[in-house]
Amino acid sequence: MPDRRDFLKLSALAVAATTGMPGFLARAAAQADGDRTLVVVQLTGGNDGLNTLIPYSNGAYYAARPTIAIPRKDVLTLTPDLGMHPSLRPLMNLWDGGQLAWMENVGYPNPTRSHFASMAIWHTADPTQAGADGWIGRVAEKIGDPFCASNIGSSTPRALQADTFSLPSIDGVDTFGVKLPQGVDGAFDAMLSAPRQGEADYLLRATRQMMKNTARVQQNVKKYRAGVSYPEHRFGAQLRDAARLIAAGVGQRIIYVSLGGFDTHAGQRAEQDELLGTLAGGLSAFYADLQKQGLTDRVVVMGFSEFGRRVAENASAGTDHGQGSVMFALGNGVKGGIHGSSPDLEDLSGGDIKYRQDFRGVYAEGLQKWLNLDARSILGGNFTGPGWVA
Amino acid sequence: MSLPPYPQKLSPEDAAHFLRRTAYGATDAQIRALVGKDAHVVAREALKFDARTAPDNPFDPSTGATPGAMVQLTRAAWLFELMYSPQPLREKLALTWSNHFVIGTDKVKNHPALAAYLGLLRRHAVAPSFERFTLEIAQTPAMLRYLDNDKNKKGRPNENFARELMELFTLGIGAPGRPNYSEQDVKEAARALTGWSFVGGRGNPKNSYLEPVEASFNPGQHDDGPKTYLGHSGNLSFEDVICLSTTHPQTAVFVSRKLHRAFVADTPDEGAVQGSAETFRRTNGNIGVVLEELLSSSVFYAPQHRASIIRGPVEYIVGAVRTLGQPRLEVRQLLNLAQTAGRMGQLLLQPDTVGGWDGGREWINDSTLLTRMQVAAALTLGNAAPRLDAPPGDLALFGSEKNPVQAALQGLNPRQRVYLALVSPEFQLA
Repeated sequence: MPDRRDFLKLSALAVAATTGMPGFLARAAAQADGDRTLVVVQLTGGNDGLNTLIPYSNGAYYAARPTIAIPRKDVLTLTPDLGMHPSLRPLMNLWDGGQLAWMENVGYPNPTRSHFASMAIWHTADPTQAGADGWIGRVAEKIGDPFCASNIGSSTPRALQADTFSLPSIDGVDTFGVKLPQGVDGAFDAMLSAPRQGEADYLLRATRQMMKNTARVQQNVKKYRAGVSYPEHRFGAQLRDAARLIAAGVGQRIIYVSLGGFDTHAGQRAEQDELLGTLAGGLSAFYADLQKQGLTDRVVVMGFSEFGRRVAENASAGTDHGQGSVMFALGNGVKGGIHGSSPDLEDLSGGDIKYRQDFRGVYAEGLQKWLNLDARSILGGNFTGPGWVA
Repeated sequence: MSLPPYPQKLSPEDAAHFLRRTAYGATDAQIRALVGKDAHVVAREALKFDARTAPDNPFDPSTGATPGAMVQLTRAAWLFELMYSPQPLREKLALTWSNHFVIGTDKVKNHPALAAYLGLLRRHAVAPSFERFTLEIAQTPAMLRYLDNDKNKKGRPNENFARELMELFTLGIGAPGRPNYSEQDVKEAARALTGWSFVGGRGNPKNSYLEPVEASFNPGQHDDGPKTYLGHSGNLSFEDVICLSTTHPQTAVFVSRKLHRAFVADTPDEGAVQGSAETFRRTNGNIGVVLEELLSSSVFYAPQHRASIIRGPVEYIVGAVRTLGQPRLEVRQLLNLAQTAGRMGQLLLQPDTVGGWDGGREWINDSTLLTRMQVAAALTLGNAAPRLDAPPGDLALFGSEKNPVQAALQGLNPRQRVYLALVSPEFQLA
């Protein structure tokens, strides 16, 4: 928490950034200009990477998981050694088309098995957990527009928090509009024009920003023409809203969606099977929609989870918290295939795989090569990625 | 170094502040009734509660036609209690504890288990022993189920309960690089917790959601070998692990910080947290004593802590109803509001994760602000808006008779005025 003087200084900056744009921010904005969007998919709860991208030729995998391993006959073969979970079948045509990338063995130094500490590390891109703001928040600071990134959902993840503002969460594009009751418009404006301090000032700025954001969305969203039908679940609806916002050209460079429930300590097969089916069904519809809208060259998706699970199953046909996992990316701008090497299941760290690819390298490529932003200043260092952006 | 008491008699603004924090807000008359009283007397009165519930609660979860209906009725029944209970602080504490000892209705769909859990939160709201409170909660079927301890058996550990017990209920994870416990502690605790499960309420929730359910211990599934946990060795049991966790010095700090976040500031003063932690340790975790000291302290009444907590969705809704003088809402409205709180990020008994709601600025974004405006309109201007016999005054609405919106609201009718007050930054803070 910045001290009070800092807070006031930062508040002033935020107002400036969202009304008239100071010079240095304008330059950043010009640099960030582009019509490409990165869609980030968060799998909350610790998705089991080994049952997502399956090392089906590896005896150690089957030995460690007598109950929950995916039988070889069910695996969707990708390479002589790796294949996808059967619930991911809707993504097979993207794989065949070279538009789906899997990144192996992704993690970070000194991993924690706490959901919250680990998620904070992915959100802040800071394994020391010292950074309070989110990596997407820093993108917004750099571009100088809080609307350059949005979350689809009801609460804003830390990844989208900035020092000076929290980025929008849009929980349903259709309802994202202000309708003031009759006769109070003038008083409402007057109420919002009185200066405040502290948290009241924060709420005031958030309300003003919301008025602008909703107006911007409602003016533009009519441009979207329904492309395909999405699966009838919340995740599908969120991706549909993502497609609508992108098609509307409202201006987001990053859109964030989440799918929760991956904390599979018991009875993993049923739970993860269903979740991966939801994931694949949603993403497949989203890609088809982008095709209809003619947007496939402008959008890539990048997915992660806070950690993978223990290599060996536990006695409840589930898995406990582990470290390192797979990431995925899809879109025409993606170099399809497997990136990195599979974890050595016979050389483990406390029962978990040892990561080889720092996730910040994966972020860095998305920022630098896809969004054309200065990844170094956003991530606080140079990180090498696996080469997933085409 | 316990907290220094607030030396003054309560002013109108002090009283409004106290009731915003401990009762979700109040009417002008309720605020004025505390003016001139001693802070300590006021805190002690507010903390004195019993098992009474709000009369005429229209929701009985046991009449739910399906597990989902039962859960909806449970939420609505609790929202009703939050709005109309004669003991609002007890309900606020129950909500605070439900955000500490988190369970979720995604996994717990059994009515007796939910009812027992909620009953414990109320009964222990001002627990004289945090250790006892934790032990009883840990041994509810709701918690045993939620954290998979029914699957934690000798030689076949499931670490879920052991990890969250330390990280979220007692010690806290510690600072980066200086963890309060090790991965080995997680493994050893998991062994000690083996054998505790529950009977009843299993199988398809469709058939078992009303079945009686009870915690059980099966010695055959308990690992009674030697263990070392948090530096203590022996043939440790479930009870030993709870005792070692709750009496660990860091637990006093961790739990005190939670209470400061609930009652003093979204970003608490660490020095003051340490003061409460000392009281916690001195009294062996007597929550009632810690709270009484906190709610009558100069920290609680400090100017920088006024209007510093962003009201959460439930607090916002309940605060509006209590500020309006507790008008009786329709059954449908209540059900609707319980769902609406969920759309604003706070579905009762179902936080997004076992870590609970973080609160503070995380409550605020475009969508939740929009929903707050809809709730305010429904309660003041909508077709089914309750009667407004005595419109609340500035003290009730804003916590102060001098506020920046007075001029802006001139010339409006009382309903419009209350609507705009409810969507103002001032009302959204406690």
